[in-house]
Amino acid sequence: MQIISFLFEKHLDKTVLAIAIILSILMLSADEDSQINSARGISSFLFYPVNRVSAYFTDMEQLKEENLRLRELAATLHHERERLTQFREERNRLRQLLGFRKDSFFDFIPCEVTTRSSNRFHHSVTVDRGKGSGIKVGMAVVGYRGLVGRVVQVFGSSSRVLLLNNKSISVSCLDKRSRVVGMLNWERGNLFRLDFIGREEDVLQGDTLITSGFGKILPKGFPVGTVFQVAEEKTELSRRVSVVSMTDLNTLEELFIVVGGRDWDSEDIFNRLDTVKDPAM
Amino acid sequence: MSVIRAIVAAFAVFILQVTIVHRMSVLGARPDLMLVLLVVLVLDRNPVMAIIIGFSLGFLQDLGNASFLGMNALAKSLIGYGIARYASGYLPESTFFKSLLILLASLVSSIIVLNIMSTFNPLTVLVSFFRHSILSAIYSALAGVVVFLILKLFPRRVVRSVGRY
Repeated sequence: MQIISFLFEKHLDKTVLAIAIILSILMLSADEDSQINSARGISSFLFYPVNRVSAYFTDMEQLKEENLRLRELAATLHHERERLTQFREERNRLRQLLGFRKDSFFDFIPCEVTTRSSNRFHHSVTVDRGKGSGIKVGMAVVGYRGLVGRVVQVFGSSSRVLLLNNKSISVSCLDKRSRVVGMLNWERGNLFRLDFIGREEDVLQGDTLITSGFGKILPKGFPVGTVFQVAEEKTELSRRVSVVSMTDLNTLEELFIVVGGRDWDSEDIFNRLDTVKDPAM
Repeated sequence: MSVIRAIVAAFAVFILQVTIVHRMSVLGARPDLMLVLLVVLVLDRNPVMAIIIGFSLGFLQDLGNASFLGMNALAKSLIGYGIARYASGYLPESTFFKSLLILLASLVSSIIVLNIMSTFNPLTVLVSFFRHSILSAIYSALAGVVVFLILKLFPRRVVRSVGRY
């Protein structure tokens, strides 16, 4: 009784503390498996809702992390897909160019467009071939579908190509079917007009126009455009022939510079053109 | 009524501790909200009640992590007793001093817990103490500042029923 009185009346706080410490030590020193199992038994019963909430937050965090990872992956794959699409398009273009080059009896130097002029009325591009590659002023520049322009300036390792869509350029053309000759002049965009076509001349919608080769500056036989409309003029002396260019002149990337070929050697003309600035076609 | 409020507060803080706090870690340190609650509850209480509250909160925390069942119960019983016995009545009515008390309590709790976990290996205790415990103690003290400032917004009688503010 005295001991109980001593413990629970005079030193109650210390007794309770001792009991708490003993209980804690007993729990700590108990067999691990029994500890864990008993604790899990109690906690699973008491904290089921808490565990649910905790699991929700954990899931949320995992989902956020996964979402972030997937977004990064999606962005990477998107860029990769874009690159592959570009490579595929480039491959297709190059295959067409290669086929065109093999089938042609002209000698070509392949080149790539490096810059485009920003002038609305003076369309030109710069290509990555120059004097070092034997390029000369006046040489025709073609795409795999047909003529696009000609070289007007040559530098050490680049050249400036004046495109067909310029008011200062006229190209002598032949109707591939009927051999009617006319002068092709630019109107807007990829649209051209074939001038000097009389009422009786045989030009039909869908006819292909090719370079005539007159003057020997431009080689003969390169497709230039397709006739898409033939209309009577008010004067009734001529007809208005509208032409769309073979090549989209706004999306040029890989081109060829015509440097020679069978039945076509214009070395002397190019040498004379070197001394002339911005020659007309 | 105050006991019910204290139990509700304990469960609410425990839920916060196991759901939200791990997402608030700074350099691996997390605040011990149960310890903050312990300080709030045992200030101005008698030591016996403080031990019971400390043991209960610690045991509740241990249930969340059954690896060392009884570890937090022991640490928080001792801290509860220490605060009720030696700090209550002497501590100035200031948020700063109360936060300082949380800091000290957190450091003591860490020492007890680290010793139990490392089976009284002084080197491990020392390394872990300087690597994690100090930052966690500061974090807990800062959390305590927030808690005490929030408690000041409540009417005195409501808070008195739970603990001193």
